[in-house]
Amino acid sequence: MTRPYHLPRNAWQIVAGREMVVKLADKSFIISTVITLVLIAAGVGVGAWLGGRATTTDIAVTDAQAGRVVVVVDASLKASNDKSSATPITVASPDEAKAKVRAGDADAALLHTDAGWQLVFHKSASDSVRMAVNQAVQTVLIGDLASQAGVSPDELAQRTAVKVELLEGDSSRADLARVTSFAFAILFFMSALTFGLQIAQSVAEEKSSRVVEILASAIPVRHLLAGKVIGNTGLALGQMALYALVSIVGLMLTPWKKFLPAVQAPMAWFLVFFLAGFLALACVWAAAGSMAGRTEDLSATTTPLTMGLGLVYFLGFTATGALQTVLSFVPVISSVLMPTRIVAGDVAWWEPVLALVLNIAFAFVTVLFGEKIFRRSLLQTSGRLSYREAFKLTD
Amino acid sequence: MLEIHELTRSFGDRLAVDHVSFQVPPGQLTGFVGANGAGKTTTMRMVMGLLAPTSGSVTWQGAPIVDEVRRGIGYMPEERGLYPKQQVLDQLVHMARLRGMPAGAARAEATELLGAFGLGERTKDKLEKLSLGNQQRVQVTAALMASPMALILDEPFSGLDPMAVDEMADQLRARAASGVPVLFSSHQLDLVDRLCDGLVILAGGRVVAQGTRTELESRGRLLHRLVTDSDAGWVRDLAGVTVVDVDGNRALLELAKPGLVDRVLAEAMARGSVRELAEVRPTLSEIYREVAA
Repeated sequence: MTRPYHLPRNAWQIVAGREMVVKLADKSFIISTVITLVLIAAGVGVGAWLGGRATTTDIAVTDAQAGRVVVVVDASLKASNDKSSATPITVASPDEAKAKVRAGDADAALLHTDAGWQLVFHKSASDSVRMAVNQAVQTVLIGDLASQAGVSPDELAQRTAVKVELLEGDSSRADLARVTSFAFAILFFMSALTFGLQIAQSVAEEKSSRVVEILASAIPVRHLLAGKVIGNTGLALGQMALYALVSIVGLMLTPWKKFLPAVQAPMAWFLVFFLAGFLALACVWAAAGSMAGRTEDLSATTTPLTMGLGLVYFLGFTATGALQTVLSFVPVISSVLMPTRIVAGDVAWWEPVLALVLNIAFAFVTVLFGEKIFRRSLLQTSGRLSYREAFKLTD
Repeated sequence: MLEIHELTRSFGDRLAVDHVSFQVPPGQLTGFVGANGAGKTTTMRMVMGLLAPTSGSVTWQGAPIVDEVRRGIGYMPEERGLYPKQQVLDQLVHMARLRGMPAGAARAEATELLGAFGLGERTKDKLEKLSLGNQQRVQVTAALMASPMALILDEPFSGLDPMAVDEMADQLRARAASGVPVLFSSHQLDLVDRLCDGLVILAGGRVVAQGTRTELESRGRLLHRLVTDSDAGWVRDLAGVTVVDVDGNRALLELAKPGLVDRVLAEAMARGSVRELAEVRPTLSEIYREVAA
C-alpha cells in the first residue's frame, strides 16, 4: 500500500517554526526582551534629557563692554550645546542688577567694579557659566587691547586659535568607538549565550523526553538540526535588529544624532557579523545539547562554549592596538571587534570583508563538526557524553 | 509485508540482538514478546533506522527498506516521547506535518482520534497535565496519524487500565483490518494471547518461537483432563499414556498419540461415570516459559 503523504521538503521550516513559536510564547523570553528594550530606551532617553535640556542664562549687565562679554559667553555655550544660550539684560545700576538676581529675573549679574570684574549669583554659582565668563572676559579684553594695537579681531582669532590634532582618528570618534565596542560586546555575549543555550536546551529536552526518536524516525536528522539552528538564529537576529532599531530611533531624538551616520554602518556590519558569529557556534551548541542526556548535564557540555564566549566578551572591550587589529580577523571575536574598528574609522574596505569570509569559512567547519556530533550522539541514551566520546561515535 | 532478516546488533562485546528473523504480515496484529533485555526495543529501533544493525537487513514489500518508507511508519518508542509542555492538539499537528500531512487535515484527524479516545475535551491541555494513561493515548494517537503504512509500537499497553486497553486494541485491530501490518511489543502475556494473530518470542536476543497462536500451541504439550466419579489411579496402567498428575478422581494426562483419547474414554466409562474429558491447551505463559527457558 502507498501513503498519501510524503516527507515535506520544508521539514526544517516546520521545525524552525515550532522553535520560534515556542520561544515567542515563552513568558520569560518576552519579559527579558521588553526589559532590555526599556533599558535601552531609558538609557537613550536619560541621555537625551540631560543633553537636550534648553538652558538659558540671563545675565544682568550695566555697560556695553559687559554686554559684549555676555555675547561671547553665549557663543561659547552654544558651541558646546546648541540648546544653551546666554542673554544680556542691560540695567541702570549694579544695585538694580543684584536686585534682579535676587528676584530671580536674572541668573547672574556681570559687574564692572573698581577691583575688576565681579560675577554675582543668587545662591549657587554655575561652573559652566563661571568658566565661560572667565574666558569671555579675557577674549573681550585682549580683543580691545589688540584693536588698540592695530591688530584686527580676525587676525587675533587666527593667531590665538589652538587646533587639536590627533595623529590617529579623532577624539570624539575614539570615545564613540569605546562606547560602541562595549555595547557590541555586551549584546553579542548576551544574545549568543541566550540563544545558544536555547538551542542546546531545546535539543537536550527533546532528547530527555525521547521525542527525538519520533522526530528522527519522521524526518532526516539534518532537517531537525537545520530547523533548530535557523529558528533560533532568526529569533536572535530579530531581537538584535529590534534593539538596534530602538537605539537608532532613540539616538535620533538626542543631540548625539550627529553621530548617527558614524554608527549606522557599523551597526549594519554588526548585524551581519553577529549572524556569521552566531552561526559559527550554533551547530556546536546543538552538538552540546545532543551530548547531554538531560538538561542537568548541559552546564558540563556547554562549558567550552560559555568560556569561549566569555573570552570574546572580555577581549571585545579590552583589546587595543595591534592585538585588536589581529583579533578583528579571528572568527567569532571579529563579530565584536571588526564593527568596533569600523566605528573608529580606521579600516580599509577589504578588512571587514576578509573577516567575514574567515568567519563564514569557520562556520562551515563548525557546522560539519556540530552536525556530525549531533547526528551521532542524538540517539545515544547512555547518559552524558564528552566531546572526545561523541567524536569517536559511529552511526 | 515487513520482513526482518538475520538482524544482529552488538554493543561492545554484548550481543543484544542475535540473527533475528521474522515477518510482520499485513492485516494482522503481531505480538513481540520477551523479558526485559531480550532485545525487543533494540530490534524495533533498528527497524526504524534509529540504530544501525551490525548485520542483517529489513525489507518492505520484498525490497530493502528505504528512509521514505520508514518515515511512513507510525512509531511509538519505548520511553514515549512528546513535548510535555505543549498543548496536546498542537503537538499532534506538528508531528503529522513533519510526516507530510497538511496542517488543516492534521488538525481534523487529531481531533477525531482524540475524540475516539475520549480526550475530546483535553485537546488544549498541556500534555504534562494529563494522567499517564491519557498521555499514553496521545502517544498512540501520534503514531496512528498521517496514514501510517505500518505500525511499530513499543509497549503500547503498559500503564493502561482494562477499559483503555480495550479501546486501544479496537483501534489497532481496525488498523490491521485495513491492511496495515502492526507489530507491538509487550510483556503482558495474557493481553498478547488475547489480541495477537501472530507471535514472535524473543529470549536473550534470539527468536525462540514464532508463528500463529495455533502453530505455537502445537509446539506445546497438548494434555487431557479426566474427571470421573471415583478414584482415577487406574490411568497409570494404560499403555501410551503419561500421567502428569493424579489427584483423587481427577487426572491430567499426556497421550502418546491423538487416537488414544477414545481408549481413555472407553476405559473410564467401563469403570464408572465420566464427568469430564477435555483437551487442555497450553497458555501462552506456559509456551513462553517453555521456549524461553
